[in-house]
Amino acid sequence: MEPGPPRRNEDVWVIVPCYNEAPVVRGVIETVRRHFPNVVAVDDGSRDNSAAEIQASGARLVQHPVNMGAGAAYQTGVDFALRDPGAEFFVTFDADGQHRVEDVIAMVNHLRGVDTEVLIGSRFLGSVEGMSTSRRTLLKAAVVFERMTSGITLTDAHQGLRVFRRSFARILDLQSHDMSWASEFLTRMAEHKTTYEEFPVHVEYTDYSRSKGQRSINSVNIGMDVLINKLLRGR
Amino acid sequence: MQWIKIPLVLAAILILVIVFRNRQRVELRAGSRLLVVAMAAIAVVSIIDPDIPQAFANLLGVARGTDLLLYLLIVVFVLTTLGLYFRLRDTDQHLRRLVRSIAIDEAIRQDGPPGAPSGAAPGETDPRTS
Repeated sequence: MEPGPPRRNEDVWVIVPCYNEAPVVRGVIETVRRHFPNVVAVDDGSRDNSAAEIQASGARLVQHPVNMGAGAAYQTGVDFALRDPGAEFFVTFDADGQHRVEDVIAMVNHLRGVDTEVLIGSRFLGSVEGMSTSRRTLLKAAVVFERMTSGITLTDAHQGLRVFRRSFARILDLQSHDMSWASEFLTRMAEHKTTYEEFPVHVEYTDYSRSKGQRSINSVNIGMDVLINKLLRGR
Repeated sequence: MQWIKIPLVLAAILILVIVFRNRQRVELRAGSRLLVVAMAAIAVVSIIDPDIPQAFANLLGVARGTDLLLYLLIVVFVLTTLGLYFRLRDTDQHLRRLVRSIAIDEAIRQDGPPGAPSGAAPGETDPRTS
């Protein structure tokens, strides 16, 4: 469904962390900015010319002088967007082009009509292209893991496309440095009894995004990080 | 039954619990300093009279004094490793906050605060921001 004239969406901030994504980041951000004027791209210490590409795309650029990981980059984007008093909706969006801006439009429109604080995109409610069976199985296992550690039940626990309100952005405070941010996000939701819904999204794995993506073995690291963070949190 | 097993297992569990729960507490840091002093004292005593650790080992059911020292060393090593791990975690966290704050300040210094109409943004100025 294509919306007619694009809505202004000035109360929405799209946060795009970027680490060595120079070949695609500009195109991704330009597509997003057709519908959402406020985009903050966090260059997480890239060694290629991602920063120049981001600036050419018209997004706000926040640059980490050193690489700090995806979780830290998302948190920087959230902190930056929170400085805008008009920011009401926050979107986490991947720089490698696997997410579709149509899904963001639908999610934001949905959130405007309900009281829910967080919308989590789900590949398994929607559709996914180019995902291997082994990856699918692993992600199903991750869902069970999240249910056990955070008590939050989802069909897709490690999907990066999420939309949330200012109230949740203020308490997010991601501390994990790498890809376990997705789990920490859920932990924070559980701690604060945040209201949430899942929303079907379409994810397209291109050769590019696959080459940049997570290796499955990293799920071991993520799992350990989640358990350690859980053990240490709040003490 | 070797009686040494009981204090060792208890020590291992206790260390984990204490370190995990109270890692910010001043008592823990004081405790680790006292432990260092105690270790130094044990070292001096063992050097002066090697029979003393042997006597302790016999008392606890360990065959040799060197074995007792090895067990103690393992306990101390685990403590040290955990302590350093926590310290590194905290340092990482401080570094991330610092870098984040610098990065955001720099972005605002260059292009103004977020939400302010920037030159590249499409459309007219936003009346919300002044």
